Amino acid sequence: MKKVSMILLMVLLLSGMVFAAGTKEAAAAGPQVLKVMLSEEPSSEDALLNTLKKWAAETGNTLDVMVIPYEDQLTKFPLMARNNDLPDLLTTTRLSRLYPDEFLDMAQYFDMSIFEPMAVEIIVQDYKSSKKSILPQQFTITNVYYNKDAFARAGITAPTIEKPWTLDELEKNAILLKEKGGVKYGMAMDASRARYDNMMYANGGSMVEKDGASFDVAINSPQNIAALQRFIDWNNKFMPKAIWAGGTTDNPADYFKNGDVGIYFSGSWNYNSFYNQIKNFKWGVMPSPVGKSASAILGGSGLGVPANAKNKDLAISFLKWFYTKENFQEYLNRDKGLSSLVGVTYSPLDAQVAEDYKVLQSEVGKVTYAFSTDESSMWRNFYDNEYRDAMKQAVNGDLTAAKALNDFAALLSKKSGWDLKY
Amino acid sequence: MKTRYVKRHVRAFWLFVAPCLLLFSTFFLVPLGLSVGFSFTNYDGWKTMNFIGLANYRELFADTKFYQSLGRTFAYTLFSLPFKVVVPLLIASLVTSKRVAIKGLARTLTYIPSLLSALVVGITINWMFSAEYGLVNYVIQLLGGKPLQWALNPKLATFVISFASNWASTGFYMVIFIGGLNNISRDIYEAAAIDGSSNVQTFLRITIPMLAPTTFLVTLLSTVNLLKEYALVQGITQGGPGLNTTFIIQFIFDKGFNQMQYGYASAISLVVMVIFSFIAYVQFKFSNGGDR
Repeated sequence: MKKVSMILLMVLLLSGMVFAAGTKEAAAAGPQVLKVMLSEEPSSEDALLNTLKKWAAETGNTLDVMVIPYEDQLTKFPLMARNNDLPDLLTTTRLSRLYPDEFLDMAQYFDMSIFEPMAVEIIVQDYKSSKKSILPQQFTITNVYYNKDAFARAGITAPTIEKPWTLDELEKNAILLKEKGGVKYGMAMDASRARYDNMMYANGGSMVEKDGASFDVAINSPQNIAALQRFIDWNNKFMPKAIWAGGTTDNPADYFKNGDVGIYFSGSWNYNSFYNQIKNFKWGVMPSPVGKSASAILGGSGLGVPANAKNKDLAISFLKWFYTKENFQEYLNRDKGLSSLVGVTYSPLDAQVAEDYKVLQSEVGKVTYAFSTDESSMWRNFYDNEYRDAMKQAVNGDLTAAKALNDFAALLSKKSGWDLKY
Repeated sequence: MKTRYVKRHVRAFWLFVAPCLLLFSTFFLVPLGLSVGFSFTNYDGWKTMNFIGLANYRELFADTKFYQSLGRTFAYTLFSLPFKVVVPLLIASLVTSKRVAIKGLARTLTYIPSLLSALVVGITINWMFSAEYGLVNYVIQLLGGKPLQWALNPKLATFVISFASNWASTGFYMVIFIGGLNNISRDIYEAAAIDGSSNVQTFLRITIPMLAPTTFLVTLLSTVNLLKEYALVQGITQGGPGLNTTFIIQFIFDKGFNQMQYGYASAISLVVMVIFSFIAYVQFKFSNGGDR
């Protein structure tokens, strides 16, 4: 009896070891979970999420998607890194520049020449090293939407690529739209610094100026003070002031979608959702206005893989799959955005979309040298929020344009160690 | 024998105290110690942490935005505090009165907002007070009035936060007051009735004085919660218009988590903790700890 028991025990132990090893092997080779961190709640039409789902269906893997907005990512990511609870793949705009050491160097896995050089320059470049911490995913540009029905009611003809409006014409027509276009606001802008910065660059200004290997703070230049004063006036006359005064959580995109805004300064990332959601009026994309020069801001988000992610190999295998021409083309068709992959372009079948796309592409050529210089200074790492606070106070009338910019310039100079130009 | 008995008692004491001590140390004493340490550094929340002595404190005491946000916090607290105490007291009096019907339902409805998260409260209040598509402005316009600029007028914006805060906490404080009211002996009320005391006289001369310990508790809790108001502000005004509803906790959060100045934020937190403790101490002294 004892012998039988011993034999049974041995058999059990051996079979246990065999099954355990088998399970481990199956786990490594079988379906795995890709933990993905997105920056906003994806709609059912979301291009990236649908592409991820397609990959999951093809490979048999599953997705664990979490949504953390860009602003919150800045605080959550360090905590995740410390707790070793990082996602395998994430979309980001700034994390890779703030914490480059925490990401894999994508140049070791990808030939970077497959990407558009401008996309690599704007989205990927670290400025402090040659490391490529992320790969360009959504390549976006600021642009201007307009309510075609409101334009028709006000008797306004939209500007063309060949003949864009001046800032004076923009102001005149925004007032006209409010008076005769049947909209509550002639114009609205996202509460994003970059939207205002376009006006600053178009007016000939910049945040900083190159000074040898360093920079000088130029945010309080006379032309910048004049630009901010004009912006304050616009807010008082025909814009939803609460958006820029900062007293509301409202999104001006909703105002535009509801038909309450004539001209809306936003970006190409909104195109797809507008295309799917706006059904009760006609709308289109118009070229941005010009001041002393034209200005557009390129940007976008990239896909990064944290160096300490549990399933980083799985994330890399997804990226290899994603950046094939066939799959990226499908993603781009869903996204209706600009392409960051060489040789892949979006060719809209819809005539209206094709026309809008032509305007969007024409904006790419408006990116200014001043914007590139500002970006390379990485000034945002110092006092991004203080700048927004200064703008909020100026628009709300708590500070004059000059005081807001002078105070901020002094702060930036102190923190960065750069001299004041003005 | 006696020594063994004492030892057992000491061991029992520590066994009873240990869970609380562990939690208190983990979630209060250790973070407090860390915060004190960080306040003397330029810690950025990540890898930079150099000892900089009292530099953070020197910067803080010269920072006008610190004083402004602290001033706004006090103004908001002083404005909201009377409502935090009086409204729940009146509702508690009503729902414990024999003359009021459907008391159970009234208590439940009043208490429900206390169960909501600050985020849900913020969304609900935004839905009511949004300048563009809000219910309140819609009703005002229906009645022929002009919509109010809830998000642009600093006083109205502060009122909206205060309204939301009161709405969300009235139920909780009502329950505390109900407990206090039920503890007042019925004999006292009967004696007052025999002496010919009117309802108002009874309320002012018996109920209010007898509720002093409860009122003190509600006042203290409300004061501390108002001084620490954060989530509602983020959900409703995000500190605007301008910086007019940026209270001290927003200021600390912004410095710490948005500008990555953990060291500086720790210094502000410690100074603010001392100020808030002093306010609580003054309240204790003035009300004699709530003793009648």
